[in-house]
Amino acid sequence: MLRRIYQFLMIYLLGVAVLLAVKYGLGLSDYVIPGPALILKTSQAEIGRYATDVTDTLAVAVVGQLLAIVLALMVGITGRRTSWIGSFVKVAAYNIQAYPIVALAPIIFILLGDGFVSRLLIAAMICYFPLLLSVLGIMSEPVDDIEHFYRQTGRMRWQLEVKIRAFENLSKLTTVVAGSATLAMAGTIVAEFIAANDGIGYSIRIALYQSDLAKILAALFAIGITISIYQGLLEYGGRLCQKAWTGRSPDE
Amino acid sequence: MRLECRNIQFCYPDTITPILEDLSLVLDEPGLHGLFGPSGVGKTSLAKILAGTFQPASGQILAEGLQNIFYCHNLERLPGWSSVGRHLERITPPDNVALKDALIHQFGLSACLHRRFGKLSLGQRNRVNLARYLVQDLQMLIMDESLANVDESTRSTILMTIKETFPRACFIYISHNVVEVARYCNQIWVLRGPGKHPQAVRIQGLDAHVTTSANPHTLEKAMLEMMNA
Repeated sequence: MLRRIYQFLMIYLLGVAVLLAVKYGLGLSDYVIPGPALILKTSQAEIGRYATDVTDTLAVAVVGQLLAIVLALMVGITGRRTSWIGSFVKVAAYNIQAYPIVALAPIIFILLGDGFVSRLLIAAMICYFPLLLSVLGIMSEPVDDIEHFYRQTGRMRWQLEVKIRAFENLSKLTTVVAGSATLAMAGTIVAEFIAANDGIGYSIRIALYQSDLAKILAALFAIGITISIYQGLLEYGGRLCQKAWTGRSPDE
Repeated sequence: MRLECRNIQFCYPDTITPILEDLSLVLDEPGLHGLFGPSGVGKTSLAKILAGTFQPASGQILAEGLQNIFYCHNLERLPGWSSVGRHLERITPPDNVALKDALIHQFGLSACLHRRFGKLSLGQRNRVNLARYLVQDLQMLIMDESLANVDESTRSTILMTIKETFPRACFIYISHNVVEVARYCNQIWVLRGPGKHPQAVRIQGLDAHVTTSANPHTLEKAMLEMMNA
């Protein structure tokens, strides 16, 4: 988890340094790009409120991601079959994921309003399709050298088939789930940015209307630290899960 | 029991040259039989056809008194989420628990029961895999290089154990070890490349048992026949 936080801090500081270089290189005013003192002062003033906003956004993203995982597993398990329904699910998933889901967000806001449900739905939809494609890929690929015995002896059941394929691709699955956290967070922020009245995306929208880059930088800092911790926790959970199931550490 | 292949023709998808062409053979008695031939001649394809995994393009498979034909090979793995012993317990039919214990002892697997499959040596993996097929209710088992990576003495013990423990079942042993096939198998079907007629030639093996010792001249004759078929 610390590695993720270090990596984020390095990238964040590098980004701020580039902004400051542009500011001083082109002689821009504090109104366009604030100086280090103003960034620090604004961050100190706003970080508490932004931390609450990010927690709100993260809560929506986590629930959205869980929904997406459950749905992707259900559809992925159905779509693994070689029957017509499996082919139909696969073709539909590949085609729908090619469409930018975020473009559908205005429809959701029009139909469901700008509350919690809209944010949740957009977060879930944005991380659902990449998850689904990964789960479909994993579940459709037979592990012949293990499955052969069960097929030969008539012991193969769909639950066992899913268990074998999940087990054999456990590290891929945990990586995909950890990676989808970023997508869920991005989806929630985009939803808040478009129309919601809560969360860090909403705060960024207000800062944008005020043309206050220092506030935006403070919000980005809060988002980055939060998502680093969340992803770190997911990866740690994935490693624990792998160790418990396979009897060995993923690094072995 | 009787297993007959009549004029089998088979070619892999996206290929035009058949790997098996007008192949016919008959197995009409239980015991350990061999399927021998150079790499790529179609032994595994024929085994999978017999086990029902592949369908021949034409020809017939007639099986009398053979309800369960299993095919096992040396590249199989056990799931890694439990120990080998636990896996064997789960897949052994209740009536065959004593048989499982006996096979574990005779195959030299007692020491590795608490370990997971991935932690075993290649030879141990193949022995465990073979043992789990043998504890099923089977009438025929096709063993495709199932004793690869197992030392010669243990291979001999395993083949003898199979012959003694399952006198009424039929085993087809696929191996490139000409001495072993000639010594332990009863009927040996040597597959020859496509274009040769007949594609499968039957040779009499020594069918060695514990009580009999192989005559070196007979063994040499069988091996020469196999190599020159």
